[in-house]
Amino acid sequence: MILLESHNVIIQTTVAEKLAKPSALDVQFVDYDGVRFHLSTPNSKTVLLLSMHIRCWDELVRYGALDVLKREYGPWLSEQVEPEYNVSLEIDLAQAPQEGEDRDRFIKSLSLLKRHALAAPFERAFIAQRSLEDGASSDHGELMQIHYRDEEAIYIQASADRVTVFFSTIFREETDRIFGKVFLQEFVDARRLPALQNAPQVLYSNRDPPLELRQVRGLKDSEDVGYVTFVLFPRHFTNPDVAYSTISHIQLFRDYLHYHIKCSKAYMHSRMRHRVSEFQKVLNRAKTEVATTERKTVSGRTLVSR
Amino acid sequence: MSNVLRPYLAAVRSTLTAALTLENFSSQVVERHNKPEIEAGGSKEVLLNPLTISRNENERVLIEPSVNSIRLSIKIKQADEIERILCHKFTRFMMQRAESFIVLRRKPIPGYDISFLITNFHAETMLKHKIVDFIIQFMEDVDKEISEMKLSLNARARTVAESYLSTCAVTNFHTLANADAY
Amino acid sequence: MEGAFRKIDIDVYDEDVLAEEELYQPNPRGPAEVLSETKQKATAVRSALAKGDVSGALGIVLQNPPYGPHVEEAKNTNMTTLVSILNSTKSSEIPNIVKSLTQDEQDTLMKCLYKGMAMPGWGDLSGSVLLGWHEKLTEVAGTGCIVRVMTDRRTV
Repeated sequence: MILLESHNVIIQTTVAEKLAKPSALDVQFVDYDGVRFHLSTPNSKTVLLLSMHIRCWDELVRYGALDVLKREYGPWLSEQVEPEYNVSLEIDLAQAPQEGEDRDRFIKSLSLLKRHALAAPFERAFIAQRSLEDGASSDHGELMQIHYRDEEAIYIQASADRVTVFFSTIFREETDRIFGKVFLQEFVDARRLPALQNAPQVLYSNRDPPLELRQVRGLKDSEDVGYVTFVLFPRHFTNPDVAYSTISHIQLFRDYLHYHIKCSKAYMHSRMRHRVSEFQKVLNRAKTEVATTERKTVSGRTLVSR
Repeated sequence: MSNVLRPYLAAVRSTLTAALTLENFSSQVVERHNKPEIEAGGSKEVLLNPLTISRNENERVLIEPSVNSIRLSIKIKQADEIERILCHKFTRFMMQRAESFIVLRRKPIPGYDISFLITNFHAETMLKHKIVDFIIQFMEDVDKEISEMKLSLNARARTVAESYLSTCAVTNFHTLANADAY
Repeated sequence: MEGAFRKIDIDVYDEDVLAEEELYQPNPRGPAEVLSETKQKATAVRSALAKGDVSGALGIVLQNPPYGPHVEEAKNTNMTTLVSILNSTKSSEIPNIVKSLTQDEQDTLMKCLYKGMAMPGWGDLSGSVLLGWHEKLTEVAGTGCIVRVMTDRRTV
């Protein structure tokens, strides 16, 4: 599994199970970036309540997350939000589509709740780009900030000919920082391949934020911060299908990067384990075998050392 | 073994063999103590001249002999930041398992990456030439291991970057194909 | 301070304590004398090298090398001279040259090789040249030569 999936597998399997055979339920689980979910049947067995907590909810609402969710979920979106959560979906199992492709699509769309919520600022930026291109007054759109993790954020800005997405990311230890550099360098270099000429341009800087972010307040100034910039051109989002997949992938970039850094470290560790056990074998060859032959006296008694 | 590395390892081998002439020696500073003199450093007359074998500034071995123990420290080649961190991780990993590597020291001496301490008791319970073999094998393999790990890291980074970006690039061909239809 | 006496280094007052200088016979010649002699040897080596007599040159430089404290300058001069000889020798000639040296000269050469390796990047030293010489010298003189280097306190 090289790529991460943008839907939540727990929602997918649990809802599918309950649709087939409704029963009482109360589960809490998490997704990337500290997103919490709560799936329960508070009133009756046939009405599922799916709630989500996401730490940048206020920012997302400001960038139109509710509109996106209304568009995606329509009547399912609950008026009453469960306490401690930001958004709730009320799913009446009796009204769900019949078994078959429709139902699969329905389940899939439920499991994409987090993705849809985070998609709002991206969609807004794509629309803003179009209006800027048509000759709006200013050069740049608003710089949208989404603080989706404690110390890390996504910044999105539309311009007349492009949409720029910035990620700030923290490398907690030196190994991560160096590994991250190697990975990001490859992201920059990979575009040289003919097959990837059309991919979004990736830029990387360590410590110094890109020019566009200089005026943002509260940026952490330290060696372990990295900034990744994606430059999206209209070809990456004019077509709705392409825009959809671009958003899904870009959202998960930070998780994808860190996931693979951790994988590399795990792999290095298993290699070291193997190598060290090889060394151990070499050293064991140096140990002398203690002779353990039984020694006997002439009369047949065995000598025992005490 | 590569031809460039051979004289270096040969020199380490002969020097280490020469230095491994150890005998039991009780401390003459503290009664009824018997400790590695090279670590205790209490009496000058039982410490011998330390010898360095080097290929260049970044690759060297320091052998400090004494009457009942020798300390061998290795500085491993580290060409760049990645090799430095890999080397650090690897030596740390090994040193945390020092008790199973009998002759390994838990900490390297300053300026070196890893140190070994061989005492007369080790020389008595283990075959001397096999200890030397072990050290040489270690020096040979550690370089190889670090460069292999570096290669694998780069290869993984490349695959990761390409498969991520290709999801965007593939959909682009799709757009281009559609563009004709519009 | 009441406990201050505990920190006094009483070993200083021990008359039996072993000093660095007592470990070996001091050099009978003074530093100035050694330096001028080393410089003379350097000139002699240059003329020998000009004639192509490498083993002769090596013999000169390895005779009575400066040792002990206070003769740093002479040591450096001697080392520079030696390195110039080592660098100008073809690797195929090394075994025969090494064989022609006396045991004392071989020991001194070994000492110089280790000293050279202990300071990589000094002058025009090259690690591979030193390692090449070391290998050939060990083949001829054996491990005993290395042991003598370790035990001889008269470091060059």
